[in-house]
Amino acid sequence: MKINEVLTKLEGITKQLEKDDLPLEEALLLFEQGIALATKIKTDLDQAKLQINKVIESTEGVFVLEKFDLS
Amino acid sequence: MSKQSIYTVSRLNKEARRILESQIGSLWLKGEISNLALAPSGHTYFTIKDAASEIAAVQFKGGSKLSSLRLDNGKQILAYGRLTIYEPRGRYQFIAALIQPAGLGALQLAFQQLKERLNKEGLFDKGHKKPLPHYPQRIGIVTSPSGAAIRDILSVFSRRWPTIQVYIFPALVQGEAAAHELVSSIALAERFSHDKTPLDLLIISRGGGSLEDLAAFNDEQLARAIFTCSIPIMSAIGHEIDFTIADFVADLRAPTPSVAAELAVPDHTEVASTLTTVVDTLGKRITSLIEQKERRLQTELKEYIFRLPSRQVETLGQQLDTLLSKLLRLAKESWKKQKQRQEGLTALLRLSDPRLPLRRGYSLTFLSGSAAPLRDSACLTQGQQIETRLLKGKILSQVEEVTDT
Repeated sequence: MKINEVLTKLEGITKQLEKDDLPLEEALLLFEQGIALATKIKTDLDQAKLQINKVIESTEGVFVLEKFDLS
Repeated sequence: MSKQSIYTVSRLNKEARRILESQIGSLWLKGEISNLALAPSGHTYFTIKDAASEIAAVQFKGGSKLSSLRLDNGKQILAYGRLTIYEPRGRYQFIAALIQPAGLGALQLAFQQLKERLNKEGLFDKGHKKPLPHYPQRIGIVTSPSGAAIRDILSVFSRRWPTIQVYIFPALVQGEAAAHELVSSIALAERFSHDKTPLDLLIISRGGGSLEDLAAFNDEQLARAIFTCSIPIMSAIGHEIDFTIADFVADLRAPTPSVAAELAVPDHTEVASTLTTVVDTLGKRITSLIEQKERRLQTELKEYIFRLPSRQVETLGQQLDTLLSKLLRLAKESWKKQKQRQEGLTALLRLSDPRLPLRRGYSLTFLSGSAAPLRDSACLTQGQQIETRLLKGKILSQVEEVTDT
């Protein structure tokens, strides 16, 4: 799952938990999911490395991706 | 000047200089540069000429702060400066304070006209600006892969939000072909986004340069390409003070490439602190939910008791009291009994401890490998291994002789 999807999901969970008529079992389940997602985002951010590609188009109209290195 | 007196060369040059400076002074001069020479002192010497005449010119070191134009032989310029004579050589020369490309006036006029026309057409309207994504995952950059802009942008990305994929669409960013290349790179990015990998954001960028260098970004075709592009576009062209047509059309204008990168992605340390807040909120929410349920349960219980007829409640209460005291008494007795039993057991266990006789000097003997202590020598034969257990330690022996007394 992409980090932005995870963040959106987490926002959804927080909203759902704000409902007053939520059964306790469901609330606990959502809470656990929320914590797991937050942990996942933190790990993803800590381990992430920028991916850079140069895009060119061949004469046949095919996209060619070249790894791009800053150094 | 007096025609009667005899002049020294110094006096002549001095007076000629005075006349030139006071009569002509500062002026705008148009022409072509030639004989360009940079002196070790940092001053620049050159000739300004037209088809028929030329004049020596100099631009002093530090005097060029006002213009970022790079001088080249053959370049048409418009210079502001003053006319003077360099007395030691009797050299008549122009001291340039400001040098601009000769065509600049026309260029600026064209810029203003295009800006007004596109503005009237609605290309700069706020209503047309697309919102930028909050957490972009794939970002395209239209720029020169070897320029300073791409370095600035990528270094901010890797510091702030390294979870993204960056796609570079190479284009020349200055010169005759630049505008055309920028337009086709935007088109390429759009095709790539549509057919292969959807892009969340496109950044069009180049580093700082002279007004001439940025000319490509004032191109009408480029403005239209930015306007019709389906991907949100952020512009980051030149320095903070530079405004190009592309900046006006873009969905967002960033003052510099680094700032563009900062505007494009969130800071991961900020997101981490947001996460902490979210987790906090979740925790508080769940605690309050549990407390709420608890309170509801208590209320329901009270209501249940109150609904019972009052006499029944009294009887129940008395019965409860009796039961409770009985239970308490029983519990106490049972506990006493248990305790006595336990004490008895402990004493008994202490007496039956096989180590007790050992403490007094007795020992236990086993046939090797057997767990039962020996009571009769008849169980043994000569040569068997026996094991003797003392209070402390064991002895292994071999039977030499067996007697039954």
